[in-house]
Amino acid sequence: MDEKLPRSEVIETEIPLGPVHPAALEPYRVRLFVEDEIVQEAEITIGVNHRGVERIMEGLPVEKANALTEKICGICSNAHVWNSVRTAEMALDIEIPERASYIRIIMGELERLHSHFLYLAHGCETLAHETFSMRLFYLRETIMELLAMIGGNRVQYGCGIIGGVRPRCELDDAKIARIRTDLDAVETKLADFADRFTSDTIVMSRITGTGVLPQKQALKLAVTGPTLRATGVANDVRVDMPEYEPFDFNIITQEGGDVKANLLIRVLESFESIKIIRQALDNLPEGPIVDRTWEMVDSEPVHSYIEVPRGILYHSYGLEDGKVRSCVIRTPSMANIGAMQYAAIGNHVTDAQLCIVQCDPCFTCTDRAIEIIRRD
Amino acid sequence: MGIKSFSRARAIHVMLVYTGGCNGCDIEIVNTILSPRFDAEQYKVFLTWNPREADVLVVTGPVTALNKEPLMKIYEAIPEPKLVVAAGSCALMGGVYKNIHGDIPSEEICGPVDQVIPVAAKVPGCAVRPQDVLAGVVSLLPTLLGAD
Repeated sequence: MDEKLPRSEVIETEIPLGPVHPAALEPYRVRLFVEDEIVQEAEITIGVNHRGVERIMEGLPVEKANALTEKICGICSNAHVWNSVRTAEMALDIEIPERASYIRIIMGELERLHSHFLYLAHGCETLAHETFSMRLFYLRETIMELLAMIGGNRVQYGCGIIGGVRPRCELDDAKIARIRTDLDAVETKLADFADRFTSDTIVMSRITGTGVLPQKQALKLAVTGPTLRATGVANDVRVDMPEYEPFDFNIITQEGGDVKANLLIRVLESFESIKIIRQALDNLPEGPIVDRTWEMVDSEPVHSYIEVPRGILYHSYGLEDGKVRSCVIRTPSMANIGAMQYAAIGNHVTDAQLCIVQCDPCFTCTDRAIEIIRRD
Repeated sequence: MGIKSFSRARAIHVMLVYTGGCNGCDIEIVNTILSPRFDAEQYKVFLTWNPREADVLVVTGPVTALNKEPLMKIYEAIPEPKLVVAAGSCALMGGVYKNIHGDIPSEEICGPVDQVIPVAAKVPGCAVRPQDVLAGVVSLLPTLLGAD
């Protein structure tokens, strides 16, 4: 099966869900068109939590705008700050100290770990397997405490500033030792979880072949991140990023694009993240962590792409008198909405929520004003 | 203590409504009540998604225009006695999104929460700390249990 298409004839049974619904943590609307309890078409409507961050950013001093981007998303807050700061550094032609770049990567990978654990816990809860879910929430708490130790806050730690990282994110020997011991514990527990998860035949039979997203369709919908890699496409922006050049890691792919592939790819990517953090801690260069000798100049809009837990994050803005102009932000979940709609087609209506959750939705990120440009 | 309060004291149900914040507070609150580290369930506080069985409504986010009506409907669906906790800077004062149009009334943000529904307790923080959420909910218990 290369593609699956929504049935075009009129289907009278419609199940509307949302905007506030038990199974979905975040507010969004889903309309499921159902025939004989099989989903024939799913329609996701966003816009419920549109706040217009780009519009507030327009005209703000660039330092304030960077702090504001953190409030786009509470799960990948560091990724937004990192990319916004990176955009400003590209516009102003700043080269950051090497130690700062390493600390940013450590924060980014710790964030990937907590985001993936949250995804797995949410997925297991949607599967109604509460034991697995609780184990993963407990694992995630270790990572949250590491982030709180480095950044000073559990959720929004504001690590990146223009020219480096904030001085409070400096890593001393005691912090490095704690990160090492905690990561060792997390790795053992995660391996243990993966063993139990894959050997549970009931769970495996439930998730194999559910919510399939064919590879051809994923490419057509421009799906990004682990959702795309779960269909077998090795696409990761980290390979092209100069920050990740010194590190040795693998791009994980899975076949099938179903719930099983999506869950397993997050487990395997977590191991890769732990590997990257260990390498960064081993080779952490000495030196300053922030360079404040830059000058503000005007610039045309510049584009920056980075890989965040959910896929490719794009930030773009220009600078004028130190203020942000023509700001555009594209978040990965925005691209993955199409995947959510298609994954649900052909599944039983009770699995529809699982099919949406498997694409790692983050509707706070997603609620941007969009314009679809059709190119034939 | 009446029979209703007696039974309520053995199962306090907290409902979480999320009205357009950044997801940070939201996950921290789910973490507080559900996850094994803080585990409010051991003190007989449960997370529910059904307004008909909720006692405490925890609201996060600055209440976007499209979320105002669902929030009011949920508030009306909760049986008396009901109390509302506003959690996080956005719910308390609109946070960073409040200032979207300066002093011109905003079309997108209807918050803070106390302009939409009556609020009994306010929990500050961006994002809220789990300990603070627990303290906020616990501060309402005397009112809730003394109601009938």
